[in-house]
Amino acid sequence: MTGRKLIASAVVLALLQIGFLGWIIAGRAAILRGGTEVLLKVEPVDPRDLLRGDYVFLSYEISRLPASLIANIPADRASSADGPVTVRLGKDADGYWRARTAWLGKAPTPAAGGEVDIVGHLSAGWTFAPDTTLSADYGIERFYLPEGEGLAIEQDMRVRPFGVRVAVANDGRAQIKGLMDGDRMLFEEPLY
Amino acid sequence: MASYSSRVRGDIERWAASGLIDASTAATLRRDVEASDRRSLSFGSVLAMMAALLFGAAILIFVAANWEAIPRLARVCALFAVIFVGYVGGAVVKSRGHPAIGEALWIVAAAAFGGGIALVGQMYHLAGDESSAVLTWCAGTALAAAALRSNPLTVAAAGIADGWLVMSLVGGFRLFAETAFPHLFVAVAVALFVLSYWTRSVVTRHLILLSLIAYAGLFAMDHDVLQVSFALAAVSVALFAAAVLAPEPVEGIARLGGRLPLHALIGFLTGMAMIQFTFADETGTGGGFAAASAVALAGIAAAVVLAGRESRGLRWIAYLGFAFELVVIYLVTMQSMLGTAGFFLTAAIILAILAFAIIRIERRWAAPVAKGA
Repeated sequence: MTGRKLIASAVVLALLQIGFLGWIIAGRAAILRGGTEVLLKVEPVDPRDLLRGDYVFLSYEISRLPASLIANIPADRASSADGPVTVRLGKDADGYWRARTAWLGKAPTPAAGGEVDIVGHLSAGWTFAPDTTLSADYGIERFYLPEGEGLAIEQDMRVRPFGVRVAVANDGRAQIKGLMDGDRMLFEEPLY
Repeated sequence: MASYSSRVRGDIERWAASGLIDASTAATLRRDVEASDRRSLSFGSVLAMMAALLFGAAILIFVAANWEAIPRLARVCALFAVIFVGYVGGAVVKSRGHPAIGEALWIVAAAAFGGGIALVGQMYHLAGDESSAVLTWCAGTALAAAALRSNPLTVAAAGIADGWLVMSLVGGFRLFAETAFPHLFVAVAVALFVLSYWTRSVVTRHLILLSLIAYAGLFAMDHDVLQVSFALAAVSVALFAAAVLAPEPVEGIARLGGRLPLHALIGFLTGMAMIQFTFADETGTGGGFAAASAVALAGIAAAVVLAGRESRGLRWIAYLGFAFELVVIYLVTMQSMLGTAGFFLTAAIILAILAFAIIRIERRWAAPVAKGA
């Protein structure tokens, strides 16, 4: 490969990779800017290591879905298949948003005013028996912290209710906006 | 060395421009200069590559530290700058006749791309899909290797793919994992193997073949499927036969520096070991274990007879395989009868026999070479 051609393809390559990263950043910033904001309650999970390297693991109230909440369980299936789950959230009096109904796959009707649809992922193998709960994840189960600040927050999370402000895009994708210790904002995310 | 090759390259340009040589001759000469350049792996280029790897690791760890003193946007811009300067600067440096430094800069840029993916995940608290993040990094590095026709970048892409395989198997990617076996690795390996012809990366082909053998072995172990072990052994035998019976056409396709039989032997031994382990676990099918062991030993002997003369490396793999077989056979058949002392005694005898055999074989094949030289 001659010199000029090599440099030209290096420029194209660098711009492609930078553009790819920029495209992801722009998409995420768009959710932060334009998404509907909801406040989700963080549940203290079992006393084990929540701190993993540089982030804390977050488990939400809506991470555990009662099977009775799911409106469209197929009659011929006893357990879940790997796939998306749409959860319709509504705001309660205490300010937290909780699951009202859920559907496997897409919601049949658009969310009414005051309600928000968040799309999560259900892995295979959860049974649909009426009194069981299913575990869903929404891609917001991590909160990255500056090095060294994780332990204190992990301890507080066990004793006090924490909340996470989440922006939900129209297509149901969720993006963490801020971490709340009760009413106090601990970290608020800038757009970029 | 670099200055010589760059001078020759300049001369070739001039000769081609003045019509002394035609375009195809110029291209052939340039390729030849580049190839001989490639072969001379100097101390300096090794150091440059090590520096690049350290630099890349520093970038990745710096991202992980999530240092607040520098605003995120500044960190993003710094990574973008490293990507741009790394790729373009590397291309400029390489075209000016310093290929080692150029390739090292490209490695830094590829690491910065991986760091960029990690930083975006951290900025927006993206949970979950680290597996696809690593695959994206691998794809980006492979794309860079293709665009710049770079041997080290191809090796790096294969290394990232291997890391992805290991991480998927260990289950480090998901918190609540029911990990499906990462069969995607085969597709990635094939793609990188094809890419390695374009980037003339023999190292990548070696790495991928060994990775595929490891993949098949792990798959057989994980799922306890005998068919995979049989297939691995059978394919290896076929490749070995092809490489020995028709060395030139096979080498023309594989272009592995004539080392395909080594990979085939390793693959065969891995497959046979898996078969032996499977049979050894099942009590009451002692016949199967004995047959598999006999086939493995016969295969080693056949490999040494058919291809041992040409390749010292192959002989050593055969010796290792032979020692391994003896230990496995001993452990499976005798462990219940003899005590520790008996084991040491047997091990001593095995090693003595092995040493005797190796010395005999090496001496026999060293002699004609010495005569010829």
